[in-house]
Amino acid sequence: MAMTTDIKKGLAINFKNGTWLVIEAQFVNPGKGGAFTRAKIRNLKSNQVIEYTFKAGESVEEADINRRKCQYMYNDGANFYFMDNDTYEQFSLPADVIGNDSRFLIDGISCYAMHIDGVPTSIELPPKMDFKVVTTTPGIKGDTATGGSKDATIETGANIKVPLFVKEGDMIKINTEDGSYVSKAN
Amino acid sequence: MIYEKKIAIERNKLTKSLRNFFEKEKFLEVETPIMVKIPGMEPHLNVFETDLITPNKKTKLFLNHSPELQMKKLLGANFGNIFTLTKTFRNGEIGGNFHNPEFTMLEWYRIKADYKDLMKDCEKLVKTLAKKSEITYQNHKINIKTPWEKFSCEELFQKYCKISLDKNRTFKQLKKTSEEKNFDTNGCENWDDIFFKIFLNHIEPHLGKEKPTFVYDYPSTQAALAKKSSKNPFFAERFELYIGGIEIANAFSELTDSKEQKSRLIEEQKMRKKLKKTIFDIDGEFLASLESIQQNTAGIALGVDRLFMILMDKKNIEDVLLFPLNKILN
Repeated sequence: MAMTTDIKKGLAINFKNGTWLVIEAQFVNPGKGGAFTRAKIRNLKSNQVIEYTFKAGESVEEADINRRKCQYMYNDGANFYFMDNDTYEQFSLPADVIGNDSRFLIDGISCYAMHIDGVPTSIELPPKMDFKVVTTTPGIKGDTATGGSKDATIETGANIKVPLFVKEGDMIKINTEDGSYVSKAN
Repeated sequence: MIYEKKIAIERNKLTKSLRNFFEKEKFLEVETPIMVKIPGMEPHLNVFETDLITPNKKTKLFLNHSPELQMKKLLGANFGNIFTLTKTFRNGEIGGNFHNPEFTMLEWYRIKADYKDLMKDCEKLVKTLAKKSEITYQNHKINIKTPWEKFSCEELFQKYCKISLDKNRTFKQLKKTSEEKNFDTNGCENWDDIFFKIFLNHIEPHLGKEKPTFVYDYPSTQAALAKKSSKNPFFAERFELYIGGIEIANAFSELTDSKEQKSRLIEEQKMRKKLKKTIFDIDGEFLASLESIQQNTAGIALGVDRLFMILMDKKNIEDVLLFPLNKILN
């Protein structure tokens, strides 16, 4: 197994008897101390997310995972079905593994499947995705008391806060990690 | 980018009541510079650098990571109780829920006082800003009625890890004891590394969940500008305030012995060299100012954006900033 001292987003590691994907890594200087990396890691089998703080420069074991491009097809409530882009093989993952990502899945959308020992265990969305706004309140007026933003529904059915200038039919870029508006898509 | 006017209104209200609070307590508000020639020596901090350009030369300047040295110069000039609300900068600290490289810092210094008096200031200040006796932060109810919880570092290590810091004063001892108790010490190269690795993973997440918590008496190695505890000089008179698991403030009974301060700065300068960080000069004016601070003085730095996050019940520091850097970079 390869060792690395560079804990960064997107890296898969073997840690505490499991395989984890680093979904967030941030450099911190606690109080008056040295450099640490505070990571949010997701277990690729159970989808459990934990936070752990590594000493900067400590070696961790890199996990052997394969990231394969796939396409989302449909779901039946309990399971979500995908197709591998190269092999055309279909596979499914349970809804609890998909979790909150389901709000950005519509038929035909491309994402990645993470394979451990050849078995797809979870999916990863691109960090930013473009979606069409299907409904939002018209105009730039908004609510002058709160100001700044209004609700919009995108083509997947998800609700997103958008700036006042966004209109129905606009394509917008969304941060898939926290579901926030990034910018208008061109 | 989304600009929430509601956030600006709430911040504006909180900032006003913060200034009112210090006015009532008879503090003078002072403005400290954002660009400085000599920033504080904290070994691990990374600074932003810039150049002042005049016809014949370039002078290296830094964006201040703390107004501490300037505040102490004013104390030495007999300014009495002072506070500042200023922007501070830390390079590389971005991402996660609690960091923006540019952030608002509140620092105040109380004369004829020690760190325990600052704990009382914190209690009063947060109660004044919250305007109620219980706040809800991310579905956690936090009771802010005083007195708040107080634990020394020693007590916390005993409570959560069954480890005595005082009895494990060397790197070798602490490493052995920690490993016997199955704590991960991977990558730790010195005593402080182990302290932080355990503290961050096993202690910090519990702090300030039901009531705000003061963690006090830190190992002296982690308090270069603080007075050592008279009871046990292995520890120094420093505290941090935690609310909802988040570190909000850091305070000291100030060290005013300029000789000792000088030797600690030299140590830290060496450490910066070792860590290949930008090297700063030792600020002679700062050392001289310490000599003219006549009374016992205590000082504290409080992360204003973090405190506002808690009072406004926001999960991410970016949610209380109109222009978070992460969003600008996007």
